[in-house]
Amino acid sequence: MTLAQELDKIYYFMKRDIISFSTYKTNILLSIVSALFGALSYAFWGANASMPSVQNLGMPVVTYLLIGLAFNTYLSQSLTLVQRTINPWSLEEVLVSPTGLVTFIVGSSLWGFIWSTLVIVIYLSVGVFAFGVILSINIVGTIIVVGLGIGTFIGFSMIGAGVLILTKQGDPVTTIITLATNLFGNVLFPISVMPLPLQIISFFVPQYYFFTCIRPMLIGQGIGAILPDLAILGVMCAIILPVGYLAYAWCLKMARKNGTLSWF
Amino acid sequence: MRLQTEYAIETVNLTKTYKSKIPNTGRFSRRTASVNAVDNLSLNIKKGELFGLLGPNGAGKTTLVKILCTLLPPDQGTTIVNGFDVLKQPMRVKQSIGTIFSVGERGFFWRLSGYSNLEFFAAINNVPRSGRRQRIMEVLELVGLEEKAFEVFQKYSGGMKRKLALARALLADPPILLLDEPTTGLDVTSSRNIRDFIKNDLSKKHGKTILYTTHYIEEVSQMCDRVGIMNKGRIIALDTPGALKGMAKKGEVADITVKNMSEMQVNSLRHVAGVSGLTAEVQDSVLGQTRLRVRLENVDALPTVLGFFFREKIKLVNFRQEEPTLEDAFIELTGTGGNP
Repeated sequence: MTLAQELDKIYYFMKRDIISFSTYKTNILLSIVSALFGALSYAFWGANASMPSVQNLGMPVVTYLLIGLAFNTYLSQSLTLVQRTINPWSLEEVLVSPTGLVTFIVGSSLWGFIWSTLVIVIYLSVGVFAFGVILSINIVGTIIVVGLGIGTFIGFSMIGAGVLILTKQGDPVTTIITLATNLFGNVLFPISVMPLPLQIISFFVPQYYFFTCIRPMLIGQGIGAILPDLAILGVMCAIILPVGYLAYAWCLKMARKNGTLSWF
Repeated sequence: MRLQTEYAIETVNLTKTYKSKIPNTGRFSRRTASVNAVDNLSLNIKKGELFGLLGPNGAGKTTLVKILCTLLPPDQGTTIVNGFDVLKQPMRVKQSIGTIFSVGERGFFWRLSGYSNLEFFAAINNVPRSGRRQRIMEVLELVGLEEKAFEVFQKYSGGMKRKLALARALLADPPILLLDEPTTGLDVTSSRNIRDFIKNDLSKKHGKTILYTTHYIEEVSQMCDRVGIMNKGRIIALDTPGALKGMAKKGEVADITVKNMSEMQVNSLRHVAGVSGLTAEVQDSVLGQTRLRVRLENVDALPTVLGFFFREKIKLVNFRQEEPTLEDAFIELTGTGGNP
């Protein structure tokens, strides 16, 4: 198993997904329209809203909202990526081939990320071209923050997929993470507007650190400005990603042992 | 390290047990039942052999195939495939086999063409990039799908889907093929075409070692070098199809088609002196015809049986006296009553 072989496999996983995706033309159109409408709705709201808690952060409300919305799409995509790869019959076909689990996960996820990146571009373009949002992107900082965010969420996704493979009854992990993101994640409002006990919960949620870090990176601040939060996000990613992988591999092993891999 | 052996597949005391919760034992009960899907099974399949594994539903055939292709770890025993241990060298085993599962078409991507599907599976099975296109066209030609290569998979017929599954199994040119019920759900012609291809091309011409599981008796009797009959996780008989037919108890078989015979009369026939076995299947419900396969202890029992039909005023549509077949041996050995 060489690196070239594994990259070749990842390419063909992506090619497979692009061909399949391109056949759902109505779905593609609806996704783009949905992103446009979502961006416009929040942009109109943000352009006419007064939120002192946001303005204290040094950015207009519309910028705050659109960045939150765009990158929430990205994280949501990461959160369901691994679950979407576990069609039981396809999974069996891949598992009897000489293909490693990491190649399988990366290959199956890649097109989802590329499509999500295009959706982010739609959100941010609406802000820039229609609402005068000024972005000054710290490319290195953005890549680091997005990488850590995706890593953390793929960790959650693998735990969720593992639970689904074992229980065959839906995945509570994804639901809990989505709810936590909406309330504690600093996505659409700063946590300072919540009562103190709820604010404290936010400090244990990786999404909070992701959104706290990503906004400064898109309005031109340096990494130094987010270093403490970035470090916490890094530690969380370093824990959750391997735990997720081990949980997924263990659940897969148990399902194989019990002969229940294709039962859902 | 590869084990040097004359066998393509070897299992020694292979055991796989499934545990399942016993129903209706209370919501919080943890009581479980164990089922030996594969029970202390030892089996050797020679290189180049076309081996048939025959058994009723739930006999353990699919479990055995899944163990051989590394998908399912056994609880006990040793399994060697192409000289490699399935537990210690799974990647080498995967490189040695091509597999068709009984629900094979579900593992394809329905919105991709046959060619694109094979291109994907060729990549994940390490078929070298340089010769990949040529190899895909070769296997498509081999199964007779070259003209439909760029048609979307979801438009394929059942037979074409199975052929594509065969083509996929052949992509990496593996020496061993594990074919789990490859003709299930196909019409008679498609099924025969696939069987002919497996026997004449894959086995005779290309020398592949093939493990072919099925619950269709005729399939294995026509095409396989040896047949193992599997029941409740064990191989209960293993020999050539001809020798297995001889395992059926000595005696006569009367193949009789009757009209308007009730279930009660069928049961009464079982108890007629000299009848050692009986299977009955409705042949034509509109005409009320039932086909009976009556095993007789000896030819002297025949007048008694015919007397039964006369007494019960049952009309005979067809009557034929036969030698015991592989089906008789199968029924006798598995006790499935003619419903494998």
